[in-house]
Amino acid sequence: MKTAIKSLVRLCSGVCFIILLSYSAASAQCDADKYTNKCMEKLTTGYTFMKSYKIDGNGGSKPKVEYSYVFSKGTNYMVTLANKDPELKGMSLSLYDSSRRLVASNKVDNKYFSAIGYTCAATGIYYLTFTFDETQDYCAAAVLGFSSKK
Amino acid sequence: MTGKLSCMKKKYLIILVAGACISFISSCETKMPDEKALAAADTVTKVPTASVSKEVLGDIIQSIPSPLEVSFLIKDMGVKYDKESLNSTENISSYNTNYRKALNLGIYSTDLGYANVYGQTQDALYYVNSVSEMADGLNLGQFFDIPTIKRLASNSSNLDSLLLITTTNFEKINEYLRDQDRANLSILILTGGWLEALHLTCEVVKKYPNDALRERIGEQKVILGQLLTLLKYYESDPNIQALVADMTQMQKHYDKVQVSNEYKESTVKEVNGVLQVVDNSVSKIVVTDEDLNNISASSAAIRSKIIN
Repeated sequence: MKTAIKSLVRLCSGVCFIILLSYSAASAQCDADKYTNKCMEKLTTGYTFMKSYKIDGNGGSKPKVEYSYVFSKGTNYMVTLANKDPELKGMSLSLYDSSRRLVASNKVDNKYFSAIGYTCAATGIYYLTFTFDETQDYCAAAVLGFSSKK
Repeated sequence: MTGKLSCMKKKYLIILVAGACISFISSCETKMPDEKALAAADTVTKVPTASVSKEVLGDIIQSIPSPLEVSFLIKDMGVKYDKESLNSTENISSYNTNYRKALNLGIYSTDLGYANVYGQTQDALYYVNSVSEMADGLNLGQFFDIPTIKRLASNSSNLDSLLLITTTNFEKINEYLRDQDRANLSILILTGGWLEALHLTCEVVKKYPNDALRERIGEQKVILGQLLTLLKYYESDPNIQALVADMTQMQKHYDKVQVSNEYKESTVKEVNGVLQVVDNSVSKIVVTDEDLNNISASSAAIRSKIIN
């Protein structure tokens, strides 16, 4: 009888542990939507919203999040970023062209810009690569806007 | 005492497990509304995907640019609004298969964006109704908050909010259809939207010859390639097979468009807190008159099959 009770207690503890673990993982989920509005506010006048991106580093297990988009020659694009840090420290964006050459980055002299404008010179697939450099906050959002005006 | 403790633990366990189950079921319900209805009504067959993963499909789908870029480009060039180039909302009753509904949902969405960019609120509202009807027909109506969309569409200064809502809706639809292995509908919606934007651009160039728009038509070579990659995964569907054949024919015309790129390093400067990057690369796109006519005729023929 004692053995049966012990087994049941062990089983209960195991199940509870798994449930609590799942609960804590769920509560640490990235709610990027709250940062999307901040990104929208940063979009300079004259730019039209086009797309929002959720940047979820899964609590640090995913140090890099990448999206692709076809950019058009002559169009001005703007990417704005936001996370819980007003200075966006450690949240880096690198833009690569279709040949995987780096054409733009929001990190200059250790400063992280939260808005980056890019005038596209060649139509093609571009890669927006977001990396968590020096931050423990693995949740952010970005917004892509465009302007066709010269 | 031990028995009491054990009993309490059992009760605790039951409560925890029940709670976890309820949370799980409610999260499923939130993610997949009206799943049975959608499955029952879909006449576009559930096609087995090739070896491509859902993630890769999703990545390509979200990389296709918004047709709205073209509408802005046309408007910014001072070209007048042309209602005659759009798909009439009166055609809606003839769209009675999911294949045609999905393609025309894309077409009407592009027309809605075009009307909105030009501040044609009455037309925009007509197109909201068409979009709504097509979405309902595909059992995707639950993703559209039509009263809010109508309110935003009735004022062109709300364009950013309208775009945020419609883009978010489309992302949710993509995720929903992808989860059900029916991303073919997402791809048809995208293809319809892209074809309509190409058609609008070709119509403008015919009336107002313009180098920038001619180049823009030539650049669609890249996107056509992406769309064909997506569509070919669903080629076992006879409707999609026919569409792929037509678009492959168009691609043959696009093969003659010459694109050359010369890479040069970018330069950066800070303007009002924004890092401005100027790409100094040079890209040349050569589209001859013959190429232009062939592409234009090809897109008109494909569109005509879809809308009539």
